[in-house]
Amino acid sequence: MTRRAGVFVCHCGTNIAATVDVKRVAAELARDAGVVFSNDYVYMCSDPGQQSVIDAIREHNLDSVVISCCSPNLHEKTFREASSQGGLNPFQCEIANIREQCAWVHKDRDEATTKAVKITRSAVERARRNQPLTPIGLPVTRKVMVIGGGIAGIQSALDLANAGLDVVLVEKQPTIGGHMIQLSETFPTLDCSQCILSPKMVEVSKHPKITLMTSSEVTSVSGFVGNFKIKVHTKAQYVDPDKCKLCDDCTAVCPVVVPNEYDVGLNDRRAIFIPFAQAIPASYYLDPESCLGLNPVVCGKCANVCEADAIDYDAKPKDSEIDVGAIVVATGFDLYAKDKMAEYGGGKYPDVLDGIQFERMCSASGPTGGQVLRPSDHEEPKTVVFVQCSGSRDPAQHCVYCSKICCMYTAKHATLYKHHVPNGRAYVFYIDIRSGGKGYEEFVQRAMERDGVIYLRGRVSKIYQSKGKLKVLGVDTLAGKNVEIDADMVVLAQAMVPSKGTTEVAKALKIGRDKDGFLAEAHPKLRPVESVTGGIFLTGAAQAPKDIPETVCQASAAASKVIALLSKPELEHSPVVARVRESHCTGCEMCVDVCPFEAITLVEGKAHVNEVLCEGCGTCVGTCVRAAIDVKNVTQLQVFEMLEACMGGE
Amino acid sequence: MIPVEDIRARAKDLLQSGKVRAVLGYRRSTAGLLAEPAFMTTADETAALVLDPTCVGNLALYLVNEKKRMKHARQSDKRPLGIVAKGCDSRAITVLLQENHIRRDEVIVLGVSCETGGMIDTRKLNKALRGKGATSAHFEGEGGVRVSYVGGGTILPGKDVLADRCLECAKSYPLDADFFFGEKVDERPYGPRFAAVSAIAEKGSEERSAFWDAHFERCIRCYACRAVCPMCYCDECVVDSTNFIVGPTTSADEKADRVRWINRSATPSENAMYHMVRAMHLAGRCIDCGECERVCPVNIPLRLLNTMLEREALEMFQYTPGIDAEQPSLISSFRDGDPNDFVR
Repeated sequence: MTRRAGVFVCHCGTNIAATVDVKRVAAELARDAGVVFSNDYVYMCSDPGQQSVIDAIREHNLDSVVISCCSPNLHEKTFREASSQGGLNPFQCEIANIREQCAWVHKDRDEATTKAVKITRSAVERARRNQPLTPIGLPVTRKVMVIGGGIAGIQSALDLANAGLDVVLVEKQPTIGGHMIQLSETFPTLDCSQCILSPKMVEVSKHPKITLMTSSEVTSVSGFVGNFKIKVHTKAQYVDPDKCKLCDDCTAVCPVVVPNEYDVGLNDRRAIFIPFAQAIPASYYLDPESCLGLNPVVCGKCANVCEADAIDYDAKPKDSEIDVGAIVVATGFDLYAKDKMAEYGGGKYPDVLDGIQFERMCSASGPTGGQVLRPSDHEEPKTVVFVQCSGSRDPAQHCVYCSKICCMYTAKHATLYKHHVPNGRAYVFYIDIRSGGKGYEEFVQRAMERDGVIYLRGRVSKIYQSKGKLKVLGVDTLAGKNVEIDADMVVLAQAMVPSKGTTEVAKALKIGRDKDGFLAEAHPKLRPVESVTGGIFLTGAAQAPKDIPETVCQASAAASKVIALLSKPELEHSPVVARVRESHCTGCEMCVDVCPFEAITLVEGKAHVNEVLCEGCGTCVGTCVRAAIDVKNVTQLQVFEMLEACMGGE
Repeated sequence: MIPVEDIRARAKDLLQSGKVRAVLGYRRSTAGLLAEPAFMTTADETAALVLDPTCVGNLALYLVNEKKRMKHARQSDKRPLGIVAKGCDSRAITVLLQENHIRRDEVIVLGVSCETGGMIDTRKLNKALRGKGATSAHFEGEGGVRVSYVGGGTILPGKDVLADRCLECAKSYPLDADFFFGEKVDERPYGPRFAAVSAIAEKGSEERSAFWDAHFERCIRCYACRAVCPMCYCDECVVDSTNFIVGPTTSADEKADRVRWINRSATPSENAMYHMVRAMHLAGRCIDCGECERVCPVNIPLRLLNTMLEREALEMFQYTPGIDAEQPSLISSFRDGDPNDFVR
């Protein structure tokens, strides 16, 4: 137990000093037994502020230090380092948060000051019983897993591999490419999506540092930053990609016809197929769901005609365990289902398309070979209505948030339509045009002025079929009147939602999700590509709706974070971990069940903590009814004395 | 009808064949109405084994005590213990198994069903007999209790004389037994579960506060409730500053710096704290054998505290303690359907 505590109270300019009488806090603490030095300063985190801590430690021979300032999230590291320079063990410095938990949430100066004194006093009590600790050193696996093979995952994987790290790229679908490969052209430059993405896909497939695992999903993750163990389930590969010669003989004989997912149901495919010509791995793929039972007695036609002998109906799924040091999550987005838009036909009308269906239609590799045709009768639509914010910005019924990219891609859709059908009419219903970005505003203006797209400010209330047309009822708020358009086709700019399976991935990785279900970043401004769990990074639309340039930026940012992390030979792990009091442990295993990090096991009838896995969260402490487990430097005795310090006095 | 002869025969057989080192059951006590728990170590002793509405004690407690004793015993007989277990006793055994306190192969459970009956509450019985001292009690037909007293006898309906815990019993027969006696009865002629706690839970918070203040004020902190509870098996109890574990490595500082969450003095606030903490520590573990309430010398209705938490656990988390030794414990498990989905 230490007996010579020093207290340093920060004004934080007026952030704290406006509400809390910092001089009084310092003066009251100075009177406490065991406190030999107490002072205040306008900015403790400034260089002179830190220096005053170092000097006081030396001058007054302090054996513990309490800084009354902002949240330990911000400056705990700063002051622990300063204490260390002064000659203390860094863990003998504690932060009393009198800003976020006091000054900012109170108005009454007198009461706030009293509370600040109590908070500081309880921190002094805690610091008095802090043990000097040394961080735990961990070896690092210099290998990275990237989950998701869209543009975000591809970019991260390439950056990491080019930095010399081994990369495992895991993709659920039979090919990489994600949603970007489905797009026809990309805004604002209208360059062909496949043309710019396929070189990167080829690079992935050829890169010696990248192991590609398609048709694979992460099932569970254990371990911790630097040393994750990941279980990956790979579906049975009925077509051997190494043998497949892409001759297309198999599809010619396959009798099964099902809707093509890649073209979002606008045309059909066989049970054995190649998703698109540039698919990576370049191989046909047998879909076991639609194949006639994988039974050579029932069908077996494709295996008969395959000269390369690439088809094996007896292929088995595979489970592999992979050790990596870091994980990049790039699981992307899905469009908010059209079926949920009851007011727009609930997905029942064939001529009401969503954004990706329209992209496929405009694409040269798409179901119509790049012609814009109505799905119902394959006629060229003369009037097309584009509806923005379909499902977005609608807290009452759909998604609360702005999906960010729809303004731009709707302008692109309307432009592309006018290029395909110059004499057609394109209407766009919008709430606001959000075109922040290099060349974006000009792109929208060009759609309006040069391509003659008619922009109507207002929402569409209803779409229904009538006499072979789609009646679009809306309002033009600028003209102040209702609008009724007889359209041949409607394109809904559906909201972006986290991709199907994001929940499961988040659960397996133990990373949080935000209120809308997107993956949660550690800090919205300062740590936007890190998850709350160390060593797991986020990128792309899985984190929030974003366009391609932003996704690529974030993918590279995540990669650079991983590179920085894995550049060290050894990682430091916080020594604030749980410790078992064996005399009290009855081996009931409740802590084993409750530990979110799987850090506790039962060894000879007693709980045993694996210190490198333990994050010191204290869930076990709260669960143990026998008080047999404690977290170092947050022991029950410390908590008890902190409570006493808070309750004492008034 | 519960076949006492069959239980005796089975107990005798287990002891004769040497499969168990003792059978834990009930026998007539030398004083008073209630049967007493007994360790029977020879086949002859089993002739005294009884099972009637006076077998109120929870025998699982003696498994816990026996474990403590065995830890310090010089010579330890590794053979299992036979134990006569009613529905509630068996649920307690299941929780002990769930918490790894005992192993399944350490016990041979002679499970008995209470069928439509249950155990008597002596306070209710005395009231019903208006001061006549009962000498024996037996099951009689559908939920009835045949009582003899000096100079006569009578048959009383179960609902008048059975303990509250039996009237609200969750399962009147064991789910995990090596040998089973009696019949599994699921429809019993009594009120719903949680009847007593529901009645008090409906009252306003002020009324409830006054109710408990009055009770806790009378608590003398004799710790009988803790001593009789099969789940209170910790060597060191966090609510009691008198029973610290002092080992060879315990330093003088550690002794001095013990956390005293609750003071020893029997004041209303410390008493309230003691009972609250005990109730919380039994959440998801208490199987409602009602022994704490029965042994309380000042008649504090302790079952209410525990059944309140049991009701919460059932309603919020569909959790019933003591039905499955493999289920994760209430406080260490989280399922996606649980309330408060912010814990994602």
